[in-house]
Amino acid sequence: MIRVNDVQKHFGALHVLRGITFEVQKGEAIVIIGPSGSGKSTLLRCINLLVEPDSGQVFIDGVQVNRHGIRHEWVRQQVGMVFQSFNLFTHLTAIDNVTLGLTRVKGMTHDKAVEKARELLARVGLAAKENSYPAELSGGQQQRVAIARALAMDPKAMLFDEPTSALDPEYIREVLDVMTALAREGMTMIVVTHEMGFASNVASRILFMDAGKIVEEGSAEQIFHRPKEERTRSFVSKILR
Amino acid sequence: MADLRKFLRERWRYIDAMLAVAVIVGSLAYIYDLLVGSRGLDVAYITRNYGLYVHAVLTNVYATTIAFLVGMAIGFSVGWLRTARTMPLAKFVLSLRAERRARSEDREVIKADSGFLIFFSLLWYGAKYVVRRIGDGFVEIIRGTPLYVQILFASSFFIVFLREYATEGLLIGIITLAINTGGYQAEIFRAGLQTVHSGQIEAARAIGFSRLRAMRYVILPQALRLIIPPLTNEYIGLFKASTFLFVLGVQTEISYIALHEGYAGDVFEIFAMVTAIFLAITVTLSFVVQSLERRFRIPGLGIEAVRKPRGVKMPAPVA
Ligand SMILES: Nc1ncnc2c1ncn2[C@@H]1O[C@H](COP(=O)(O)OP(=O)(O)OP(=O)(O)O)[C@@H](O)[C@H]1O
Ligand SMILES: [Mg+2]
Repeated sequence: MIRVNDVQKHFGALHVLRGITFEVQKGEAIVIIGPSGSGKSTLLRCINLLVEPDSGQVFIDGVQVNRHGIRHEWVRQQVGMVFQSFNLFTHLTAIDNVTLGLTRVKGMTHDKAVEKARELLARVGLAAKENSYPAELSGGQQQRVAIARALAMDPKAMLFDEPTSALDPEYIREVLDVMTALAREGMTMIVVTHEMGFASNVASRILFMDAGKIVEEGSAEQIFHRPKEERTRSFVSKILR
Repeated sequence: MADLRKFLRERWRYIDAMLAVAVIVGSLAYIYDLLVGSRGLDVAYITRNYGLYVHAVLTNVYATTIAFLVGMAIGFSVGWLRTARTMPLAKFVLSLRAERRARSEDREVIKADSGFLIFFSLLWYGAKYVVRRIGDGFVEIIRGTPLYVQILFASSFFIVFLREYATEGLLIGIITLAINTGGYQAEIFRAGLQTVHSGQIEAARAIGFSRLRAMRYVILPQALRLIIPPLTNEYIGLFKASTFLFVLGVQTEISYIALHEGYAGDVFEIFAMVTAIFLAITVTLSFVVQSLERRFRIPGLGIEAVRKPRGVKMPAPVA
């Protein structure tokens, strides 16, 4: 479904991604962990081309997307993205946040878009909040609206960049529940998170990244309890504590 | 006691407005007493002439409004331009070199087309740099010189290069005012656009918006709401500045004052009329704008945004 082959990325002299290669099957959910600054966000951004890789290939559904002649806007509709800081459109209500992409990018009629948005908001448990502005929603609710907004574009896969790390503990559960349900329904997902419970229950594989490389890859059981690499061991011991 | 407080809270807007009116009326009465005193108000002069003054002010409103709208287009374009990030040329070249070195170290081969790449990035950088600097220069010149000088400059420009239009005072005036307010509005727009959080553009682009459409549907609607107050300010300022057009032979109320034979005797009457007309227009305007602001107000946008929503940690400082 998503294949990343030897992707390199520099920011000026800073070498952020040093040859990343991995693959995600259709319907699979994988979790990426790694210390701050290891390039996790940059990797996700390379997949939906918010950041252009310097070299290497990114394939989505067998199509190489980082080459000439492929519109970035099209690529970004194929993979949804959820941000750490939600980034809901401040000036729009929950439902308008979901419909904006439908009407303005997909060219759907307003009525159809509203119908679809209602369905999605119900799916993330926010049917009652459709007319609230982001500022009137709790963090957990905002993040669920953001998930609905991404799902509205009918993406083939979803990228989550630390979706719960800006949330107070009592709101983390509701967001993880939505994500778990999504994974159970067979959505292809790449999730950057340090939520061990979610990783153990949902992820089929865990990638550990450090300094722009994938250091180790394996099941949750292996990465968390029997890591092969010393770097993985020391990082995991810090987040398990 | 609690009732009184509740009453005050609910009615505060009206009480506030009434207080303001009281202060204004008081000051006016004082000035009236000072200037007119025992002489008595020349009501006949006012009733005879106020039509002329209203007509003159309408010319101002007309010129200001057109200039303001054109200025908005200029201001938005230049302001947007000025949000483009550029760095000093030397630093840019250094970073290109560093990037090349970093790449060659860990990949041995530099890609054959990297020469081209550098050429084009330099070209793109150069274009951006030049356009951006022109924008900067424009804003600095407009802000740094008196409007009066700008009007005289425009008028001489027309006399030298566009003779046939040199007598069209109003046209020259509107053009000058538009360029002038464009320079100020560029800064207002820049501030507005830059205040909108970068995450908003990112989110828009992540669902497939192009830069232009993200600007149209996500950034501008937020930025415009944020800049209503400074834009109103700018309009009022421009409205008052438009009285300068008398230099070009446009009949504004100032020129009436200057020309009228009543200049010696009826000073207070003339100023009273001009003040009343100007105040009526600006106060009406600010009421309209306030109700617009209330109408388009959005929770969490603007000053309120400082309040953090429930359940969100303050963002950790970026490493
Ligand atoms: N647009 C950019 N320009 C320059 N440097 C950048 C940019 N984006 C990221 N970086 C740098 O690249 C490195 C990797 O950043 P990235 O955000 O991918 O790390 P991360 O693994 O997501 O970290 P965190 O866990 O803190 O989110 C960091 O050193 C960061 O400063
Ligand atoms: Mg990150």
